[in-house]
Order: sequence, then C-alpha cells, then structure tokens
Amino acid sequence: MDFDDTPDEAAWRAEVRSFLDRHPSAPEQPRAWQAILYDAGFVGVTWPVEAGGRGGTPMQQAIVDQETARHGLPPLINLIGIGMCGPTVIVHGSDSQKQRYLKRLLRADDLWCQLFSEPSAGSDLAALRTRAVRDGDGWRISGQKVWTTLAHLADFGILLTRTDPDVPKHRGLTMFVVDMKAPGVTVRPLRQMNGDAHFNEVFFDDVRIPDEERLGDVGDGWRVALTTLMSERLSLGGGGTSIGPKPEAVARHVAAHIGALPEDRQVLARQELGRGYVAALGARYTGYRQLSKLSRGELPGPEASAGKLSGTRSARDLTDLAVRVLGPDAATADAAWQDMQALLPGMAIAGGSDQVLRNIIGERVLGLPAEPRADKGVTFRESIR
Amino acid sequence: MNFDLDQEHLDLADGARDFLSASASPAAARSALDEGAGVRPGRAELIKSGYATITIPESAGGGGGTVLQLAVVAEQAGRVLAGPSLVNFARAAVLLENDPDRLAGLADGSLAVAVIDDHDPVLDAIGADTFLTLRDGTLVCGPGRVTARRPVDATRGLGDVTLGETTDLVRDARPRWAKAERVGRTILAAEGLGAASRLLGMGVGYAKERHTFGRPIGSYQAVKHMLVDVYVAVEQLRSLVWWAAWAADRAPGELPLAAAAAKAAAATTLELAAETVIQVHGGIGYTWEHDAHLYWRRAKTDRFLLGDDVAAFDEVARLAMGEAAR
Repeated sequence: MDFDDTPDEAAWRAEVRSFLDRHPSAPEQPRAWQAILYDAGFVGVTWPVEAGGRGGTPMQQAIVDQETARHGLPPLINLIGIGMCGPTVIVHGSDSQKQRYLKRLLRADDLWCQLFSEPSAGSDLAALRTRAVRDGDGWRISGQKVWTTLAHLADFGILLTRTDPDVPKHRGLTMFVVDMKAPGVTVRPLRQMNGDAHFNEVFFDDVRIPDEERLGDVGDGWRVALTTLMSERLSLGGGGTSIGPKPEAVARHVAAHIGALPEDRQVLARQELGRGYVAALGARYTGYRQLSKLSRGELPGPEASAGKLSGTRSARDLTDLAVRVLGPDAATADAAWQDMQALLPGMAIAGGSDQVLRNIIGERVLGLPAEPRADKGVTFRESIR
Repeated sequence: MNFDLDQEHLDLADGARDFLSASASPAAARSALDEGAGVRPGRAELIKSGYATITIPESAGGGGGTVLQLAVVAEQAGRVLAGPSLVNFARAAVLLENDPDRLAGLADGSLAVAVIDDHDPVLDAIGADTFLTLRDGTLVCGPGRVTARRPVDATRGLGDVTLGETTDLVRDARPRWAKAERVGRTILAAEGLGAASRLLGMGVGYAKERHTFGRPIGSYQAVKHMLVDVYVAVEQLRSLVWWAAWAADRAPGELPLAAAAAKAAAATTLELAAETVIQVHGGIGYTWEHDAHLYWRRAKTDRFLLGDDVAAFDEVARLAMGEAAR
C-alpha cells in the first residue's frame, strides 16, 4: 500500500502540471477548451490508442482530473460522451462507426448524449417503449425520451429502442447511434428545480436511421446498454471524485462564518461538519480503492454504486450545513450554496435513485434474494396490458 | 498510488484469522460475561503468538513491524471479540519508544501495561500491573490497584485504577502522548471494523435463510436496504482505517485527521451494524444465546474509549477548519 505517486505517476503529473501552467485559463467556448486538452493528449486518457485515446491507466486520468480541478479549470463539456457513449461504441461499434465518431467525440468536434430514460421507464429502464421498426435497409423510430442531458447541444446520441414487443422486455431491445439533427428529432429543454435547463425531452417522429448505425445486434440492446451503465456507474461518484462540493471547500466556508453563530450553534455546526466530512472522506478513499483495482485491470463492479449512494448523501448534508451557517438570510440570499443545494436532489436520482442503487448492491454484492418481478417470463406486450 | 493491501498483508490476515478464531470466540465472550471467565486468547497467548508485539522494535524483542500490519491483525481480533485489546500494546509501544528496558518487558510479557486516560474507562485494566498516564504534561508509570465493576462488555477488561507511586518517564510528553493516542484510535477502529464486518455477514446470512410471507426476508427492500447501509458504512470504515494506519507509518501530518475520522466512523458504524443485525434477526437476535448482543455490547462500550464519537467528530471539524486546539 502506498498513497504516493509511483515514479511513472509522478512524471505524468509533472507533464500535466507543466501543460496546465502554460494554460492558466480556459477559452470561453467549452468545445475549444476540450480540443486544446485533447490535442495535448489529456482527453480520453484511458481509451485505447486505436480509438484516439492514450491507452493509459485510470490513475493517470484521475491525475488529470485532480490537476485541472487544482488549477481551477472547468470540467470537459463532453463528459457523457467520453464517460458513457464512447466506451459503448468502442466495445460494440463497427469499425466504420469507430472511425467516424470516436476521435471527433474526444475533441468535442461532436457532442454526444445518452437517450435512455422515458416517461414510464426510469429505474425500470427495460420497460421503455420507443419503437424501432424495419424499413428497407434502415429503421424508423417513434417515441419519446426524457431527462436527456445535453440533448439540446448534442450532435449524436446513443438511442435504446424496442424492436420486438413479443419477447420478454430485456430481449426485445436494440441500440442505435442517432444523428440529433435528423428530420423528425425534436428537442425541448426542461427547466430543473434550480432554474437551469441542462436536460431535455426528445421526441422521435418517424426518424429514419440507416442499419449501419445500429450498435450491436438486433435484440441485443440490453447487453449494449449494460456497457454504458457500467461506465456511468464509474463516472458518477467512482474513483474518488466528489459529487457536489469538495468537503474542504465546505470546511473553509464554515470556518469563515461559524464565529458569528451563538455558542450552542457552533457546537452543532462542528458536529455536522465532522459527520459530513468523515462521510465524504470515507467515500473518497473507498473510491481510491476502486481506482487501485481498476488500475490493475479489474472491471468496475456493482460495488461502485456505493460511491454514488454515499457521495450524494454527504454532499447534501455538507451543502445543507453550508447554507445553514449563513443564517436566516440564506432564505432570501442569492447565494451559490443555495444553487448547489437545489442541484443535489437531482444528483440523488440521476444514474440510479438511492433505492435502486441499494437494490443493486444488496443483490449483486451482498447476494441477497432479488425483488419479486411481476413482469418476469411474460412478453413486453403482455406486461403493459 | 496503490490503496490496497499487499500480498504480505493478506497472508498476515490469514494467519491471524486462523490463530484468533481458534483461540477466541463470541462463545468465550459470553462466558466471560456469564461466569466472569477471563478474556480469550488472553495476554500471554497474544504475546506468544507475536501478534500483540508487532510494532515493538526487534531490538526490544518485538516484531519491528508497522501500524498497518497491526491494524490488519486487529481487524481479525475484532471479528471474534478477542481480548485483551491490541490497543494498549500499540499505545505503549509508542509511549515507551526510548525506554528499551520497559519495552522489552512489554514484549516478553513481564510487564502487563494499560494506559489511563483522563475521563475514559481504562481499557484492559483487569490483568494489568503497570500503568502509563500523562500528568501535567509528563509521562508517568507506576503500579495500581484495580477495582472491577459490572461490565457491559466483559471482553474489554474495564476497571477503575488507583495509581500507586509513580515514576516520571518523559517530560514534555504531550506530542508523544498525542501520537500514541492516535495510533491507539487507529487500532481500536480496526477492531471495530472486524466486529462490524462480522455482524454484516451474520445479518446477510440470516436474511437469505429466514422466510416470512413466503419469501426470504432479504428480498424485502425494508430489510435489504438496512443491510446495504451497513455494507456501505463498513467499506468506508475499512478505507479510513487503512488510511489512518498508513498515515501512522508514513505520513504523520495526516494522522491526526485520519485517526479522528477512523475513530468516529468506527463508533457509529459498529453501533449501526449491531442495532441493524438485531433488528434483522427479530426476537432471536435479542436472546442471550445469540451472538448479536455480544457485538452490541462491544459497540456500546467502544464508543467511549479514546474519546467518544462526539469528541472525535468535533476534532475532525476543528482540524478541517484548520484550528485544531489540541
């Protein structure tokens, strides 16, 4: 066991640092910033070389993330593409799909989104209804997706559809790459409770997709989607990355305001800070353990869900404390902590609600018996009657 | 960075697990409570095994090993509620580091050492003949008279100590005292980790077997989710214990925060695990014969040792805000 950088990691960190020292600020245009970082070799670090990446380790990627955060530089715009869509194309895409898409995705020449959730298929993703029907040498798509992050800016998306309603629900799905500018695609931004609009409803009205844009075999869409979901699990709260504010930032903020509180409130605030801080450190170091395993070539397992589960909890607790130490003024103040607080309930739902993550951990890690399923062994068509 | 146990640690854990599970058990903890029997495996056996003296230098007859190695063993001790605790050995090894004679006595068992804190119960006072404490900043040592009281957890050897005539060992010993306390907190947390992870195994095993309303109870979210919360807490505690032990050996600047975090997490996690596992078992988990209450007793006792969890969370907060008063 050793927390310090290995000599290779230290050399890599020095390389990243010296590059970032020469680029102390990012350009206004987020695509331009990602292109600069990609051309320097710091985007898609863990991607294979033939996919346009560096063939590096998860630890090297973590070092890039740590150093960009330390330099106060913004995160990449195409994170969903890099963390979820791209890895799915790498595993299941044809050679020509890989040629066409991957390098442009890493440079943010194209932005990507993930078209999975629907109004009646969230946690029960395989209950989705968007239909893909054969049409000559292609497919016609009709239906609706929702909660699609970045769809309003995206050039392409990975789209999970139902191609056969007369088999059990997991077996009748097929994945496609869809051109978001194709005729029949309508994107409508949804305003979140914090006032921003980062995600969208997407409507497909007889959208034509050529068969060469299929990702994986017909009827094999669930297996393809699992590749995406495994990657998602890791990019949300895995590897020691914080969800929400960094606990150190909350501690600095509390330190700046605690002196103005009455003594009894100070005692309470320290208890809450201590509890939230310990939970955040526990999640961070558990993420480091995963990162160590991944760097030895092990695959991200279901236990990675624990990081997202506990990370969103401690982020909510710490952010609530940060708001509370502002006192009653916080209720009307135009404060950054309030905005953060309004963002976190969504984080506890995105990528799997707390309850679904607990089911995953309970069943796949602890080996507890599965929830009974009312739609088991029946076709999708029968299950929706 | 490689945040994982090395093969050497895994081998050490295997050996300690074999030795400790053959010589200590919840059944022994029950008979200590029932009949006032001594703790198992007992001081002499622990010293003979070499596990208790891992962090004592080889020159004094110890193992010359690391705090991380001792933590790996302590986790295995916690699983079977072994006694006496490895905490006093770990603390005394730090406190006596410039005292080769007493260190050798600790290593060969001729001195049975316990450490006295200001207000906390004295861990493994029963069976000890030599006591270390801090008096006005000076580390002192002396014999003492021990009075046993009715213990909540009989494996912790708690007693009241009246110190006899003491010898001054080290003046201005506060920094060393603080380091020893932090190493002690780390080992205590490692024992808590072992106990909590054994409890989790007990709860998961029962939830798979026990059927109610025609289904195993572990298939109900109400039960499943409770156990998952314990799992998450146990894994986070494991990370904090390893971090604290590594810091004790290699990064002294990180030890204060890491040890306080591990201590606090151990107190809350062991308590959560014990309460949850009794709930999962229902009535059977509340019987004298079931092991759950023996771990529950450990949880209710350990939280007060080396400062309680409230004090540890407060210390984490002060350190995080950069104004630690200690």
